[in-house]
Amino acid sequence: MAVGPTHYLVLAAVLFALGAAGVVLRRNAIIVLMSIELMLNAVNLTFLTFSRFPLVVRRPADLGPMMMQGHAAVFFVIAVAAAEAAVGLAIVIAVFRSRGSVNVDEFDSLRN
Amino acid sequence: MLEVNWLHLIPLLPLLGAVFCGLAGRFVPKAWVYAVALGAVLVSFLVGFTAWRQIAGGEGGPLAVHELVYTWFSVGRLTVDLGLSLDRLSGSLVLIVTGVGFLIHLYSVGYIDEDPGYWRYFAYLNLFIAAMLLLVLGDNLVAMFVGWEGVGLCSYLLIGFWYEDDAKAYAGRKAFIVNRIGDVGFLLGIIVLFSLSGSVSFAQLSTLQLTPFVAGTAAVLLFVGATGKSAQLPLYIWLPDAMAGPTPVSALIHAATMVTAGVYMIARLSFLFVQAPGILLLVAVVGGLTALWAALIATSQQDIKKVLAYSTVSQLGYMFMGVGVGAFFAGTEHLITHAFFKACLFLGSGAVIHGLHGEQDMRRMGGLKRHMPHTARTFAIATVAITGVLPLSGFWSKDEVLGQALRTSAFSNLAMLPPQFKGTPVLGWFATHGPTFVGPLLWAVGSFTALLTAFYMWRCYYLTFEGEYRGPDSVHPHESPWLMTVPLWILAFLSIVALVIALPAQLAGRLHLEGSTWEHFTEGLFRPARGGPPREMLPEAATYAIALAIALAGWLLARRYFARGAEGFAKADAVVARFPRLHRALENKLYVDELYDRVLVRPLWAFAKALWRLADSWIIDGLVNGAGQAAFALGAAARKFQNGNVQRYAAVTAVGIAALVYVFLVRG
Repeated sequence: MAVGPTHYLVLAAVLFALGAAGVVLRRNAIIVLMSIELMLNAVNLTFLTFSRFPLVVRRPADLGPMMMQGHAAVFFVIAVAAAEAAVGLAIVIAVFRSRGSVNVDEFDSLRN
Repeated sequence: MLEVNWLHLIPLLPLLGAVFCGLAGRFVPKAWVYAVALGAVLVSFLVGFTAWRQIAGGEGGPLAVHELVYTWFSVGRLTVDLGLSLDRLSGSLVLIVTGVGFLIHLYSVGYIDEDPGYWRYFAYLNLFIAAMLLLVLGDNLVAMFVGWEGVGLCSYLLIGFWYEDDAKAYAGRKAFIVNRIGDVGFLLGIIVLFSLSGSVSFAQLSTLQLTPFVAGTAAVLLFVGATGKSAQLPLYIWLPDAMAGPTPVSALIHAATMVTAGVYMIARLSFLFVQAPGILLLVAVVGGLTALWAALIATSQQDIKKVLAYSTVSQLGYMFMGVGVGAFFAGTEHLITHAFFKACLFLGSGAVIHGLHGEQDMRRMGGLKRHMPHTARTFAIATVAITGVLPLSGFWSKDEVLGQALRTSAFSNLAMLPPQFKGTPVLGWFATHGPTFVGPLLWAVGSFTALLTAFYMWRCYYLTFEGEYRGPDSVHPHESPWLMTVPLWILAFLSIVALVIALPAQLAGRLHLEGSTWEHFTEGLFRPARGGPPREMLPEAATYAIALAIALAGWLLARRYFARGAEGFAKADAVVARFPRLHRALENKLYVDELYDRVLVRPLWAFAKALWRLADSWIIDGLVNGAGQAAFALGAAARKFQNGNVQRYAAVTAVGIAALVYVFLVRG
């Protein structure tokens, strides 16, 4: 059985769904951040999939640079995810210091 | 017709006086207010007199003085000029309005001096004079209507002058509302006349041949207006209540001038009314019935002003009878003489009320002749004038009206049934004969009313001035200051000399006064009624003899019961005891107010209340409150989404994106 783009994409969709479910359902802010990482990496997987299996190839000469575009995007996402995780964890620690809890369902200051 | 450019001064001066008194009167010394208010009317009188001299000059002189002040508005076919026209009718009325008005202003200085609202009073009074002059002088229906509404407004303001008193404020509102009913008729009449003839000016209208339908419709609507303003059946009920106002106001507005506006209007529109003989018949019958009805009520009133008020209603009935039988000169002649003696009577009653510190009930008067000789004498002269015991002005003018009613042929062209009924037994008579019997019938009714008039006026005089004083000892009756007695004497004098305008033609000819009679003076001014020359009935001398006998009978009757102290009162009580229900009904003004209350006022209140409950509280308020509540509910629902839980936001976002993906990518 040849492994085609469908397999990668289904795996990415499953990972994204798991991440989304974690973001929406889990109470612990750290788990929520981890779920966000999961979603970002699911997205990264789709980028790499389409980089590996491009949909349209107009000229073979373009193929090399085109294949690198997906990788570039993934590097950006990894960098942003790292920054996001750093800021997110800092916020979680600050919230824990002031509120004594990291359960997101206990915070509704945004309502005000 | 003489065109001049100073006629507008006549109504303008009192208007400026009103503006001054109303705006500045509060802050300037009292004397200034009096000087401006009286001066404006006096100068207005002098201007009016100058104009009147021009047209009264005799043969060859102009018949009218006219001024086109400006074109008020011009819309489509409708052009309304603010034009003033002073002819022999309106000119004479200008002299009465400003002349009697000035005397009453003078009297008011003595009457209202102690009231803190004197400046307001004089502002209203001047405004009234201005509006009344516009009503009289206006040369078209619209200008007349403006004056008509203006006098109604002033009447309302002055009846409710002491507005702190609920009853008086109510009387003012009542007058205003009842007048409004009539005014709607007037306005509709103007609209009918304009829409069907295309003009509102008297000069143009009088040249038009109107169809009987147009003339009849317009005439009946205008007559409705006249019944409101001139207190005729069925709209007379406001006038007795209007006595709540200061007494000089009753004299000026509710006796001498404003209430006669309806008579003036019909006389001014004689060309219209003669084209609608059926409506003339209605005018005459309403006038006759009102005269009788009000005189009946007047016999049993105890309030001196109420007696005079009903007397005014009754005399106005005579005037309407006069114009109704086509004798426009007789109706207006009675208008003029009535203005003098009724103003005198009202001012006399005001002097009595003033001298007794507000007492109006004749049961607590009596013997005032000793304390206020001037008032008593002038009141007696005016009483003689109105009752006709001696042939003073009222006798001649009233009997001119009655004589004209007896001999009228204004209705002889009318058929009561269409001609196809001719030949049938009973109905045939009605088909061949017009309602010509109405004239003599009105004469009989009017003569009986004259008996009642003599009775109630002498009763009023005797109860007030003769016999012993029956009031409380704490009140010391005193004569009024000269400011009040001088107008009384002038008006009493005028009540006597006004007889020269009211003399019958034959007698005037014998006395070489034919040039001064009103009939001669206004010749050609009024359109003659259709139906030919007057019919021969009783000779003139006979009708005058009958009238004199009737007046004497009424006087003797009143003397028998009210001039002999306790003995007479006992007799009167005995008569009353024999007809207790009739007396009670008359004392209660024949329950007309109660009837209106049941039939009109309360159903209207109930209807208004129902509208308030249903339409206003429920539908209108429901819509308004409903809109607010809907916004609230929407907000409450929307607020649930913003609960501050970021996870819920994320979930909703995820579901939304999933839905979008499904719709646009999967299905689309």
